[in-house]
Amino acid sequence: MSETSRFRSLEGGHGALKGAQTAWDMLSEEQMQKHITTGCEELDAILGGGIHCKEVTEVGGVPGIGKTQLGIQLAVNVQIPVECGGLGGKAIYIDTEGSFMVERAHQIAEGCISDLLDNTAHRLKDFPACPEILQPNSFLANIFYFRICSYTEQIATINYLEKFLEEQKDVKIIVVDSITFHFRQDFDDLALRTRVLGGMSLKLMRFAKKYSLAVVLLNQVTTKFVEGSFHLTLALGDTWSHACTNRIILYWNGNDRHAYIDKSPSLRSATAPFLITGKVYEVTRVI
Amino acid sequence: MFPGIEPLNPLLLPAQKLTLGCPVLDRLLRGGLPVGSVTEIAGESAAGKTQLCLQLLLAALLPPSRGGLSAASLFIHSEFPFPIRRLHALSSSSSAADPLGHIFVAAAHSPDDLLSLLATADGLLARPPTHLPVRLIVVDSIAALFRSDFDNNPKDLKKRSFLFFKIAAKLKEQARRFGSVAVVTNQVVDVVGSEEGANGQRVGNYASLWSSGRRVCPALGLSWANCVNTRLFLSRKDEIADDAGSSRTRRWMQVVFAPHLPEASCEFVIVREGVSGIEPQRVAGR
Repeated sequence: MSETSRFRSLEGGHGALKGAQTAWDMLSEEQMQKHITTGCEELDAILGGGIHCKEVTEVGGVPGIGKTQLGIQLAVNVQIPVECGGLGGKAIYIDTEGSFMVERAHQIAEGCISDLLDNTAHRLKDFPACPEILQPNSFLANIFYFRICSYTEQIATINYLEKFLEEQKDVKIIVVDSITFHFRQDFDDLALRTRVLGGMSLKLMRFAKKYSLAVVLLNQVTTKFVEGSFHLTLALGDTWSHACTNRIILYWNGNDRHAYIDKSPSLRSATAPFLITGKVYEVTRVI
Repeated sequence: MFPGIEPLNPLLLPAQKLTLGCPVLDRLLRGGLPVGSVTEIAGESAAGKTQLCLQLLLAALLPPSRGGLSAASLFIHSEFPFPIRRLHALSSSSSAADPLGHIFVAAAHSPDDLLSLLATADGLLARPPTHLPVRLIVVDSIAALFRSDFDNNPKDLKKRSFLFFKIAAKLKEQARRFGSVAVVTNQVVDVVGSEEGANGQRVGNYASLWSSGRRVCPALGLSWANCVNTRLFLSRKDEIADDAGSSRTRRWMQVVFAPHLPEASCEFVIVREGVSGIEPQRVAGR
């Protein structure tokens, strides 16, 4: 057999090596089970290990609850080396509101690195490249940052990612912070808005599945006047709700921050408390 | 349409801050107000919001080595009259040449006024009339613009909300494009009843905010809260100072939410020279 026909046999599973798969297939199957840790044990637990790759997860909550903090934390944690149980991947961070602050991302990266050095030192001793890779500035350099100032720019950027992801196979998470800000102005044509949002959500779902990465959409909350009183809902909830595989709501429970799973195909509804500290998301001490 | 779409290394993002003109307050905010970002200063009347804004106008003129932006400013006011005499008094201690010649003042009477002023400001930012670029835009206050035009029914609230997002998007786009600082002041409203209503929804680091003995929250609701990057709250409390019954006013600045700051607060005073933070000391109570 010629070289080309042998290669085709391996791919299609025909001929002598039926049932075999390419190394790429094996790698992507392995990554199917991968999650990105949130940095908070209890939150990871109710998520079934962490934020899932190949899925779209929406995270909603009031201003100041910690959505951006979680977004940055995930953009850092996706980079945890494979040797330490992470994905060793890169991140895309689409900032639509100007919430991403480098100094904060630097702190979060420092926190992640110091945790790795404390907890996985035994795994790292055989990892020679360690000192260069485990630097906050290296972590920051692995975040592909986009700043969006209008809804048209948002659409154009997501379209641009089509080609970008073909070339950057290391990207394992896309964070959009926040997904709806630029759509909350007055649209002359609401049908257009619905079409645009629908198109965007389909593209993002496709990216998640095709490139086996996690898509995390941070969303604002709003009050909806229903039956004579105000209820808290996620912004643009009706036009958007079908697009996400999972939904996490961050909220205040007294003086504590909590997270609960609002939607998930595989996980039951559950709550977990979390803290935002100087470095990372942390679990609160259980009294 | 967007030929320049390209990812950026976050390390290349502008990280400059504008000093508040006081090292104690700067420490609270880790340097001052960030460029490329919208900071809201909320508080009741006479809490010190406008005083702080005037101080920022002068601070912008300082060189970066002193925490400034070497820049001119645009001050859009919706409260009247504009405190020109106070600004003039403060400017006398400014080290910049001709400070008042680098502060542009405009009045806005409605949300549409503000939007058209901001559109005109693009020209000001792109082609500054003096040799200094304009890198600080202040809106004092956002609340006054929405006092009369809108009723409290769901339809008007929706219309109002659309305008918040349009204004905020414009301010953020300008801040990003020109590397400028955007500051918006806001009034407060009383919080009545339970946490259930739209007004009582907890936003930020404090379960409740107090000023002059009343429980308050920044005006314009949850919608507007979603429009700013950083929310600072100025409060005041009149206290009986001693047995003689003389009273004094105590003031605090609190970080309600910010993407880069933890929960923190700082006491300050307003003196002839301006707004000045008080170094925290170990005292019992409060």
